[in-house]
Parts: sequence; C-alpha cells; structure tokens
Amino acid sequence: MLMAAVILAANPVTGAPRPQDREPLSPAEVDQLTAEVAAQLRCPVCRNQAVLESSSGLARQMQTVIREKIAAGETPEQVKAYFVSRYGGWILLKPEPRGINLLVYLLPAAAVLFGGAVLFRQMRRWTGSVGSEEPAPEPPDEALSEEEEAWLRRQIGSAR
Amino acid sequence: MKGATRWLIPLLPVPVLALLAFGLTRSAQVLPSALIGEMAPEFTLQTMEGDSLALSELHGQVIVLNFWASWCIPCREEHPVLARATREYSEGDVRVLGVLYQDDPASAERFMMRYGGDWTTVLDPGSRTAIDFGVYGVPESFFLDTEGKIAHKQIGPLTWSLLRSTVDSLLAASAPGVGS
Repeated sequence: MLMAAVILAANPVTGAPRPQDREPLSPAEVDQLTAEVAAQLRCPVCRNQAVLESSSGLARQMQTVIREKIAAGETPEQVKAYFVSRYGGWILLKPEPRGINLLVYLLPAAAVLFGGAVLFRQMRRWTGSVGSEEPAPEPPDEALSEEEEAWLRRQIGSAR
Repeated sequence: MKGATRWLIPLLPVPVLALLAFGLTRSAQVLPSALIGEMAPEFTLQTMEGDSLALSELHGQVIVLNFWASWCIPCREEHPVLARATREYSEGDVRVLGVLYQDDPASAERFMMRYGGDWTTVLDPGSRTAIDFGVYGVPESFFLDTEGKIAHKQIGPLTWSLLRSTVDSLLAASAPGVGS
C-alpha cells in the first residue's frame, strides 16, 4: 500500500516517465494505475462518461487494453498517448491545456475577473458617496426666512 | 464611457450565442480521425472461415476496411454498397474487408447469408483492432491506399457515390505514371 502511494505520488499527470526496467508492479498497483487512466479517458460509445464508469462492452475492452499496457510496464502517460494517437485529443475527458483548448481554461477566469470588476464598480456606486470621486452636494446652510420661521413656530405651538 | 457600457452590456451575450450557433452546425458524427495520413495499424486476425489474414498481405490494393456488426441497423443499409463495390471493382484493385465489431461469428454468418456477399470478414476478439483504429461505433469505414496508409474515414453508412469517388481517387493516385 505504501509502495502504491509512493508510485502514485511520484507519477502525477505531468511526471516524467518512470524507467522501464524498474521492478514489476504488484497486482494492486496495476489496478490502481488502470483505474487512474480509465478515469481520464472518455468512453467512445457513451455520453460524457469515463471509461472507468461505463459498463459498455467497448469501455470494458478498453480497460483490458489499459491494464495490459500498464502491466507490461507502460506509464499512464504512455497509455494515454496511445489512445490519443488513435482517437485524437477528444478521448481525454480533460482537454490538454494547449492551443485552442487553452480557451477552456482561460475564458472562465477572464469572465470572473471582468464580472468582478463590473460588480465592484457598480457596488461602489450603490453604496453612495463614501470614498467616491463625486462628493454628494453639501446641505444648504442658509438661515430660514422670517416667513418660514413664523410658520415653523406656529406648527410647533399647535402641536403642544 | 457611460454611453459605451450601456450598449456593450446587452451585446455581451452575442459572442456566446454565436459560438453556440456555430456548435449547432457541427455534427458529433464527423470527429476527424487522428489516423488520417498514417499507416493503418497492422493486424493479423482470423477470418470467419478460420484462416489467418494479415492486413499487410493486402497492400498493393485499395482497401475498404469496414467495421460492422449484424446488430447494427445502418450496416444493413450500407451492405448493398459494399456488395456493389466487390462486383464493380476487380479484386486485384480494390478489396473490401470486414472487421466484426462486438458481435458473435454465428450472427455475422447469418447476416451474410441473408443479405448476400462473399467478401472476407475478420473477427476482432476484445475489440483490440477496433480500438487500434479508434473506432467508436459501427459502421465505420477506412479507405487505405495501395501502400496501406489511411486516406479517409467514413463514420456512418457508406453511400455508393462516396465509396466510388474515394476509391477512384485512390486508384488514380496509385496508377503508374501519375504523380511520380
């Protein structure tokens, strides 16, 4: 189990291929790496389902092919490259961040940044003048006219 | 700036809608094969009659490699097209070769008895050859030039006009004195 963990840790998606002449993998390690690869490949006869999750005949046969290649000493990267060479980049559930595929990764981030900026500007407008470059108009400080003062006194007087 | 934003915000969904509209014009059926222009993956498989056949034995002819199954309805539709190809082209020029996909030989034999045709079909246990060719459904057909390179892939049933124009162009390209 510890070995498997070490191998998985040493073999991330971008990891360098392991040497071919290392010790043969244990059955548990083969299982683990097979599942790892099968989870990243699209089942060709399904709708957006991984080879690992599909019970279709072709997906199960693909799992057999993956298992044999892993057991023969190929790295997960090599096995995935084999399927890409046959089915094209479409077979990878997660597109490689390359070329036009980069848009898939960059557009959402750009949209969030843009939306955030718009929202920030708008919220500052809503929360009023605090710290904004347009100060609110000063309250008028003119004294009341005599007429107004007389009216005000009358109102206060009648309320009592 | 204020005037510009007033117009810009309602226009924001336009590129998204344009992208989605473009998506509607594209068929999921016509995923390009990663193998066009490559040598066809080699295989040696058993025919339905029990003989062993290697793909490389057929080099020198234009090959129509047809993945099919007896349970596949569109395969019935395209069957007469393949039958016509075996009649209209001589065997030294063009070879139709079936590869049975996820099917049992007995059903395939009944299918051939019922719909006619005497071209060879090889069995593909475990779909290894289908996976090697990047097949994801039937029918799928690969057109191989005389050197064994994959020139074209058809997903879905073949039509006579498509088969003829593809085969004729491959025959013309391989004719002595042309293109050399």
